[in-house]
Amino acid sequence: MLTIRELTKTYSSGIQALREISLDVPAGMFGLLGPNGAGKTTLMKILATLLEPDSGTAEMNGIDLITDKPGTRRMLGYLPQEFGLYPTLTAEQTLHYFAKLKGVHDKKERGVLVDALFERVNLASARRQRVGGFSGGMRQRLGIAQALIGQPQLIIVDEPTAGLDPEERIRFHNLLAETAGENAVVILSTHIVSDVSSLCSQMAIIRQGAILASCTPQQAIDQLKDSVWEATVPREQVAVLKSDYRVISSQMLGGLAHLRVISKAARPSEEFTPAAPALEDYYFDLVNQRERAS
Amino acid sequence: MRSPARSPFGAIFQNEVLLNSKRVAPYAMALLFAGNALLWWGWGPATGRGWATNADFFIAGVLPVYSFMTLPLFTALIMADPVIRDLRTGIAPLIFSKPVSRAEYLLGKFFGNFFVLVCCQSAFVLTLFVLQAFRKPGMIVQNVKVFPYLKHFLVFVVISHLVLAAFYFTVGTLTRNAKIVYGLGVSFYPLYISYQTFLLKSFPSRWRIVLDPLLMNWGKIDGARSGELLNQLIIAYDSDLIVNRGFMLLLAALCLAILYVRFTISERPGSVEKLSMLNLSTAAERVYYDLDSFQETRGHQFERPDSPESEVLRVIPLPEVARANEGIRANVNKLIAALGVEFRLLLSERSLVVIMPLAIVLSTLDVAFWSVAPEPSFSAAYGGNTAKSLLLFLLGITIFYSGEAMHRDRDLRIEPLLWSQPIPNYVLLLSKFLATLLLTLVLILLDALVTIALQSMKHNGPIELSAYLRICSLILVPNAIFMAAAVLMLNVFLRDRYVTYTVAIGICTSLFYLYSLGHNGWLYNPLLFRLWDYENLIGGANQSQILEHRIYILILAALFIGLAHLCYPRKPVQNRSR
Repeated sequence: MLTIRELTKTYSSGIQALREISLDVPAGMFGLLGPNGAGKTTLMKILATLLEPDSGTAEMNGIDLITDKPGTRRMLGYLPQEFGLYPTLTAEQTLHYFAKLKGVHDKKERGVLVDALFERVNLASARRQRVGGFSGGMRQRLGIAQALIGQPQLIIVDEPTAGLDPEERIRFHNLLAETAGENAVVILSTHIVSDVSSLCSQMAIIRQGAILASCTPQQAIDQLKDSVWEATVPREQVAVLKSDYRVISSQMLGGLAHLRVISKAARPSEEFTPAAPALEDYYFDLVNQRERAS
Repeated sequence: MRSPARSPFGAIFQNEVLLNSKRVAPYAMALLFAGNALLWWGWGPATGRGWATNADFFIAGVLPVYSFMTLPLFTALIMADPVIRDLRTGIAPLIFSKPVSRAEYLLGKFFGNFFVLVCCQSAFVLTLFVLQAFRKPGMIVQNVKVFPYLKHFLVFVVISHLVLAAFYFTVGTLTRNAKIVYGLGVSFYPLYISYQTFLLKSFPSRWRIVLDPLLMNWGKIDGARSGELLNQLIIAYDSDLIVNRGFMLLLAALCLAILYVRFTISERPGSVEKLSMLNLSTAAERVYYDLDSFQETRGHQFERPDSPESEVLRVIPLPEVARANEGIRANVNKLIAALGVEFRLLLSERSLVVIMPLAIVLSTLDVAFWSVAPEPSFSAAYGGNTAKSLLLFLLGITIFYSGEAMHRDRDLRIEPLLWSQPIPNYVLLLSKFLATLLLTLVLILLDALVTIALQSMKHNGPIELSAYLRICSLILVPNAIFMAAAVLMLNVFLRDRYVTYTVAIGICTSLFYLYSLGHNGWLYNPLLFRLWDYENLIGGANQSQILEHRIYILILAALFIGLAHLCYPRKPVQNRSR
């Protein structure tokens, strides 16, 4: 279990990136969901020992992630949002290098580990190719392979599917799902709701540096049971409906507006039909509520 | 017809000026050039000879030397990467998708940067111009002049550097590798001196002028003439000079024409091929969908594959491995691994293919083509001569390749991956320091081998390996250690590779200038420039002083590494009150 308490970070520019964040992150896949600029990457960087918080604590298995950086780095597997690799090294040389830095010095053991990692990330056929020629998806897969070296107990993946094509995204989801089954804490930071709903057993929603909610995806969906309605209406009615109801999404389809609204009391009007709630509904409703409140 | 200022050319030109105005390098250059002008004015050849500091002949005489002294390197610095920057930052596709022609883009880039370069260079003449208002005791200043400064600057500096700028810009843009241009900038002096010595020297004087891009052979004035006479001299451009300048303008146009023909905005074919081939080859094999989560979530666009194999998640187990992260042995192993990668990365620098042979050829030129006196022995003379010539190259290689090693991780955005690994800071720092040092040691070794081969080929035996070893161990290797440590510290302190290059080159230039003026003390001459001879290494009065000096600079080197470690931006442990 990773325990984060009152973590605060304000950049020198005055931007308050984190506001006394507290979270309990159990083993398994944990989704940290939030829009761009919510503070996800700041939190990830602090947990990955790359950034100093102003105050607060983060602790896992008796190790203080803020003060014991060497100890943290020994149990950490980190895939940053933006990262590079040495373009002139081959994929194999790259993984061997990171394995040595992780303390895997036995050549035979390292060879077996690197072989298994290539198999797992499905890069075995490209292992002798220079990393400079890799596509975005291949680089991400090599990135997760280096993060998996040395049985990390804490794996942090920051926006790993941003910029990947749909096929590579699904491939990457599979990889993360495999990883999460190994008793490690895996924190997946993303702004893509479907990534969380399909992968994570626990999640938190972060916005403007504060945690808005922390629960399981199913609990989030259950909160909207029998409350989500949808209708296709003429475009002119949208403004009126938006003023009367909690509209969570509106999408133009064939010149008409397809609306999803939340109404806990009763059906909003006759053109609305009940809809199965989804995690997106919960996320957009929560974010919209906070926006209205602020 | 559209005004150029409102055309895409104008927009690109203005944007380049704007971008350069936000860089440190142009201001540092302008400051350096203004300082250079101050030195020429107050402590240059005019003082004590009765020359007026604003005489026409003085201005025309100073400018080609100024143009030669420091400018080629700075021209390379400014002109190497304007297009490469666009490609690297990913803004190129945004620009190329606009209605901008290749010519407008390239010319806008070229002239925008060249304009900035000329502005920086003009700091020299502007300072000289302003200094007409001041005079030191005994200094002669004529009536205030404006036109000669402008005219001579345009003819002797701007046109010369237009050719160099066009050449560097063409090479940088076509190779898409700024390092090659920096390599060319560094090798300008040896190439130019060789060109003058081996090629132009044999030509008639007219051709020597016409074919000299920096006009160093034009208008040699007899310095023995009286100052009064020289002060009255008005410099007129003769036909040779006009032909030379016209030829240079043509060369610049030719370079840009070649660039226009060869430049392509498309992705390099090699990388495209790799991307498409690898991306699709294995994709279908292992894609699977978790049916429940797939149906629960909206927005998924894919069909579930029919293959039964894909229904099962095939988890490939990772083996348990023993890890050692504590203790000196574990960290030494990590240091060796990091050093191996750092050195491999340094060796993969393409510029080394040019720089290393060039350094070896030019440092052994003297012993290869001229007769060597056996003082006190042939080996000592060969080794000593080569070691002295090699100093400049060791310095250049240390500065530039140490900068590469220190900033590569940030440039390639691999820093977050490396810094989150369980490795101490000293492993990261020492691997870069040792890789640079190893590179210079390889150069020293290769240079020594070539010198020995030359000595043998010229039948100047016997070959005394002990003489070479003595020179290497007492002079070259400690120098290399000191330089690598000093540049490592500068890189850590200054955090920016170009600021480091400028500061390091500035410090070296200032020190060598001081040495050339006779201020050559042991304490501030860490490389023992002009302070040693082979006799001092085998005995004599200075031997113990040299040994003490070597210990002194090794202690300094250790201090520099220690300081670099203390100030390294990756903090190992945080000490804060919570």
